[in-house]
Amino acid sequence: MLHDVRVLEVSAPATMLAGSILADLGADVVVVEPPAGSPARRLEPFLDEIPGIERSLTWHALNRNKRAITLDLDSIDGRNLFTTLAEKFDIVIESAAPGGCAPLDGLKLSAKTIRCTVGGFARSGPKSDYASSDLLVMASTGTPAMSGDPDRPPLFHPVPQSIMEGGAETAIAALACLLARDRDGEGQQAEISERIAAMMSALSVPIAIGAGNPEITRSGTAGLSPDARIPSIFECADGYMIVTVPAFGPSFGPMTQRLAKWAAEEGHVSRDIAEVNWITFAADVRTKAASPAQLMALVKGVASLCRSKTKAELSAAARKLGLLAAPVMDMKDVAESEQYRERGLWTPVRIGPDGREIDAPARFAQFSNFTIETKRAAPSLSQHTAEILKTEAAISTSELQALFVHGII
Amino acid sequence: MSAPLAGVHVLDLSWVMVGPVSGRYLADLGADVIKVESRGRIDPLRTLGPFKDGKPGPERSVSYHNLNAGKRCVAINLKEPRGRDLILRLVDWADVVLESFTPGVLESLELDYAHLKLRKSCLIMASTSILGQTGPHAKGTSGVGTMGAAMSGASFLLGWPDRPPFGTFGPWTDGVAPRFIVTSILAALHRRSITGEGCYIDVAQAEAGIQFVSPAYYEYAANGTVPMRRGTAGSPLRSPHGIYPCSGDDRWIAIDASERDHWEALRDVIGGLLKESKFDTLIGRLRNRLELDNAIADWTRPQDAEAVERALHLAGAPAHVVSRGGDLARDQHLRFANHFRTITDPVMGEAEIEGPRFELRRTPHVGTTRGPRIGEHTGEVLRGVCNLSDDEITELEKAGILT
Repeated sequence: MLHDVRVLEVSAPATMLAGSILADLGADVVVVEPPAGSPARRLEPFLDEIPGIERSLTWHALNRNKRAITLDLDSIDGRNLFTTLAEKFDIVIESAAPGGCAPLDGLKLSAKTIRCTVGGFARSGPKSDYASSDLLVMASTGTPAMSGDPDRPPLFHPVPQSIMEGGAETAIAALACLLARDRDGEGQQAEISERIAAMMSALSVPIAIGAGNPEITRSGTAGLSPDARIPSIFECADGYMIVTVPAFGPSFGPMTQRLAKWAAEEGHVSRDIAEVNWITFAADVRTKAASPAQLMALVKGVASLCRSKTKAELSAAARKLGLLAAPVMDMKDVAESEQYRERGLWTPVRIGPDGREIDAPARFAQFSNFTIETKRAAPSLSQHTAEILKTEAAISTSELQALFVHGII
Repeated sequence: MSAPLAGVHVLDLSWVMVGPVSGRYLADLGADVIKVESRGRIDPLRTLGPFKDGKPGPERSVSYHNLNAGKRCVAINLKEPRGRDLILRLVDWADVVLESFTPGVLESLELDYAHLKLRKSCLIMASTSILGQTGPHAKGTSGVGTMGAAMSGASFLLGWPDRPPFGTFGPWTDGVAPRFIVTSILAALHRRSITGEGCYIDVAQAEAGIQFVSPAYYEYAANGTVPMRRGTAGSPLRSPHGIYPCSGDDRWIAIDASERDHWEALRDVIGGLLKESKFDTLIGRLRNRLELDNAIADWTRPQDAEAVERALHLAGAPAHVVSRGGDLARDQHLRFANHFRTITDPVMGEAEIEGPRFELRRTPHVGTTRGPRIGEHTGEVLRGVCNLSDDEITELEKAGILT
């Protein structure tokens, strides 16, 4: 869909998903790395747990469909070549360092160029000099403070999320600028904060206090329903299921009603629990027509029901009966899911120096008249430097060697 | 300059979170977004908190306003044949239709893409559901974002090794999927501006979630190891890198001082045990990680989290409070960035919701205004968009179509 769009991505952890979404949607994306390689190539995990510039699995996951050149943007030749290249590209993406400096500052870009700068916090103002570390950015979003059992420290995602949130947000910003340019031909600059992007995952935490509500903590949810303390993840015969038991009201209550009925049929709760009106339950508790003990009995029954069945059995029942329940999948379950396979999520891609083939979850959307394809593997360091500098910047064979001799490529 | 999507018309048939968040992106970018709601089937988000001053009410949910800011709202019962006719007239007006019904529902109403494209071939329509519209488990899977998170592999990764997974904070994919929906819609609008083609877009929220944890999937696919939850914050390849307790109830400070300069700054501030030579090198700090973390925690434990953040930041050691809602509401960066926007609602009064998440220099987002009340713009839209007369509208009202 973006077949006429060209993107230069000055590679950094937070630019990767932006370039990858645009590339998957059909754009021609070229990553620009310093001669020593992008810092993003040093992100764990590594292929066979052996570190190496070509072995970062995070790099492989987020650089499919891109080509790669090296260019020292601290050198005058590098900056000059970048400016020449940028003339032929529509969108440039970069990441700002703490303090606000960005690699493309001071470069003369054409008025039609779209420049997207993503940073950890902000390029100016308080916290602009804070390190854009995933740990710190995520700590500042409000999400970890709400995650995990209250008797243990807060939980953080083991996969860096600030670069995902910031990267995806950057792709939206880039396309918004593209649509503005489609109208009037003019480019512009967009600035993206990983922190503000990632606050999306904190849901309503950022706005609760400002609307006159008490502080929400992991241990107690003053102002919210005490139901929040009811477990949602239950052990089953071969893993875990997520089951939302306290779901009431006209939209979700019928699902709880069917869950209670099934638990009774299977002998895990008594008949009278199945006959509670779960649609009106929340209101009934307030008028004392129902009791929280009934809910706790249902939770206990659901726990017992889950223990007696496998993820597959429980999931099949959830689909058949229409329940708020799903398997807690690990990555093996994801890889083996017949749903993802038959729907067409996967495309084969080669990774690493030995070129082993894996299936990549590339098709983040299905389209009526476009298909996300993996046309190329994530590029090795400087794989396309010669091809691109020769064709796009009129660099001769001997000039290319001179640039290499001087450490510019 | 006008906002990037000025003049773009969006018909938003979605509810709760994923669809409304996607529609909010488009509204912020200047599109005219009309939300369709029915008093007989109000957006469940209106019943979910937090509420202004903690008092429930359909117009008092700040979450509702946060996700529906800047939209218009018509009340139409689309299950009535005449309600369906009104939807079709809105489709004639729309460039983009967004929907998040359980797969199969729109088909039964003959309002699915197959029907709508016959009426308008250049239509861009985006459907979103937990597992998408196709595949053996798509039909029948209806639910909330906690289920999408569970099936993306993300929930399994969050928790302690000695306990069941804790899962993501709330319906995580509800915030992730809109990024893929919105980029797909914007790309389709770009293509349409060149070729005139419409497009149907089908985003499975669980598949969107997989994108945000793809390095963990690659670890399984390439190395054959199933990534497990590890509980402890911070990377095992960095030290010191983690969170440390502070004074007060559940207060924590995140510290990332593994890089040499940061480490030297941190040990200068804390001193004591940190000055021991075994912590000079990265390898020394990794091998003696527990001892080092305990020494740092002994220093942070009696102190106020914000004071620790300030002191470490001044010294050049990266640190940030593990922020709670109150920290965010007071946060100087968020205030400076004008992230919180005050809205005024006739029922709710004043509240703060969030602004857009990025800044465009030349064609800025439109201002942030409150979400619409149910059916607030029914008359205006039926007159202005559907070209109905006042008499026709009154008649539809009497027939119970506009509820």
